[in-house]
Amino acid sequence: MIPSRLSALAALVALAVVPWVLARHQLSLLTDLLIAGLFAMSLDLIMGYTGMVSFGHAAYFGLGAYASALVLLHFAQPVPVALLAGALLAGAVAVPVGWFSTRATGIYFAMLTLAFAQFLYTVAYKWRDLTGGSDGIAGVPKTPLFWGGPSLASSRAFYFLVAACVVLSLFVCRAVVRSPFGRALQAIRENERRFTSLGRDPRPFKLVVFVIAAVFAGLAGALFAPFRGFASPEVMFWVFSGQGLMMVIMGGIGTLVGPVLGAMLFILIQEVLSSYTEHWMIFTGVVFVLIVIFLPGGLVGTARRLGARG
Amino acid sequence: MTPLLETRGPTPLLETRGLGRAFGALQAVAGVSLAVQPMELRAVIGPNGAGKTTLFHLISGLLAPTAGHVLFRGDDVTALAAPARCRRGISRTFQITSIFPELSVLENVRIAVQLKIGDNFRLLGGRAVLEASEQRARDSLRLLGLDDRADELASTLPHGDQRLLEIAMAAAQEPALLLLDEPTQGLSPEDTAATVAVIRQVARERKLTIILVEHDMDVVFDLADRISVLHFGQLIAEGTAAEIRANAEVQKAYLGGLD
Ligand SMILES: Nc1ncnc2c1ncn2[C@@H]1O[C@H](COP(=O)(O)OP(=O)(O)O)[C@@H](O)[C@H]1O
Ligand SMILES: [Mg+2]
Repeated sequence: MIPSRLSALAALVALAVVPWVLARHQLSLLTDLLIAGLFAMSLDLIMGYTGMVSFGHAAYFGLGAYASALVLLHFAQPVPVALLAGALLAGAVAVPVGWFSTRATGIYFAMLTLAFAQFLYTVAYKWRDLTGGSDGIAGVPKTPLFWGGPSLASSRAFYFLVAACVVLSLFVCRAVVRSPFGRALQAIRENERRFTSLGRDPRPFKLVVFVIAAVFAGLAGALFAPFRGFASPEVMFWVFSGQGLMMVIMGGIGTLVGPVLGAMLFILIQEVLSSYTEHWMIFTGVVFVLIVIFLPGGLVGTARRLGARG
Repeated sequence: MTPLLETRGPTPLLETRGLGRAFGALQAVAGVSLAVQPMELRAVIGPNGAGKTTLFHLISGLLAPTAGHVLFRGDDVTALAAPARCRRGISRTFQITSIFPELSVLENVRIAVQLKIGDNFRLLGGRAVLEASEQRARDSLRLLGLDDRADELASTLPHGDQRLLEIAMAAAQEPALLLLDEPTQGLSPEDTAATVAVIRQVARERKLTIILVEHDMDVVFDLADRISVLHFGQLIAEGTAAEIRANAEVQKAYLGGLD
């Protein structure tokens, strides 16, 4: 499809030039949006493509953030090492959690993921020696890309790192959902019993995609810690998991790029309104309801429908 | 024709021995022993609630039996779950249409092929698998006369075409044994006739063994090599169309009670 290729190209160009257009605090906000976008996109893999609604996805973002913070603070490694650590820890924890949770389906799956996430949140909260408890870990440095290599301390440099990670992740996730494995996921989403009677047990597929989603959420969290300079239990709290679901639905479930936009819209509303009122969630809620009612399929789903029609 | 449970002679493709399934106090299937020869088209008939669908679940592995055994190509597959039995060559359709509604017609069939033959954990790339399975899917759609609807969403097909799509999915898996649970349910007389013709053609072209649940007696007598009659979970008769027509017990239990 030419229009979607064009808009992808336009988006890439825009991402490349904005650092010279935006003021520093705006660029910093955009970095935040992109990190949230990566988190929402990872959730879309399980929610949109496999039909598994997780209420605990923030846990993997949080694990990534803590792993990254600890690696940067205590071992002073280059940022990519911290990113790898965050992604790996999130993925590793997702293996047992996914193994148990995918034994259940529907609301029971959702409740299991929530229970495990709240357990992990409690660990982060209580294990003061390691995590700093409710204060979290502050003073996480932005180490360079590699020793002797380019510094990531400037907001522009870090923005480019985040943008590159998000774009790369988007391409990888797109390839995954179009692969034989990704096609199988969508069949599971559509009709699990049919899938089973066509010759495969859905559970290993669900486990693998659960872990992949956790890895990308972990990567997002691992970017978050050095960007904001801290990791704290809030990023693992169930509220953030719920916001992830809203981001995915607002942007367009099962589109990957939609959730990135949904997350950007969500955080943007929050950022703009929270300086005027602490009740910004009311406005977000209204926007969410309006989108669900009037734009089924979210921003991207609606745009594609209109594009297909005209 | 081979008599039921003959000890010598060719191995039946499918055999059940004393197969039973209880739901609490209800014996939905009780002590069913039957043997289906390769290339046979077998009809299973019986009034509503006779246990036909339950029997299919037991054969395809979606339900575990509470008694008895299922043998496929002479191997005891009773302990195998549904996916493993499908990979061995048992494909099926459901009485209540079971498809992937928001996937395209082509993708419904293609994924059926992929799940049978493919490299399902290929996370990146996989063009070869996708193309090979698409080829086979298109062949199957052509066989069922659905090739011109390949790009539509499965949910948008009319009921009759959805029934055919499900057969296309199962047939594309190139099974040895195909189980069809009331393929003509809810179809108009014309669609029924078309579906029957297609089933006959699929059986011939793919050299399939088929077990079919069907309510329309004209269809059954027309299509089936042999007929098994279930009543309250028990096999009360088995034979050719002529034998079943002449069977007094069947008359009493089923045919007489119909209409
Ligand atoms: N999952 C189940 N739980 C309890 N009873 C069931 C279940 N499935 C089927 N039955 C009962 O078993 C009997 C046989 O059902 P079924 O195999 O669907 O019959 P048929 O397909 O011949 O109409 C019926 O009395 C039905 O109510
Ligand atoms: Mg039935």
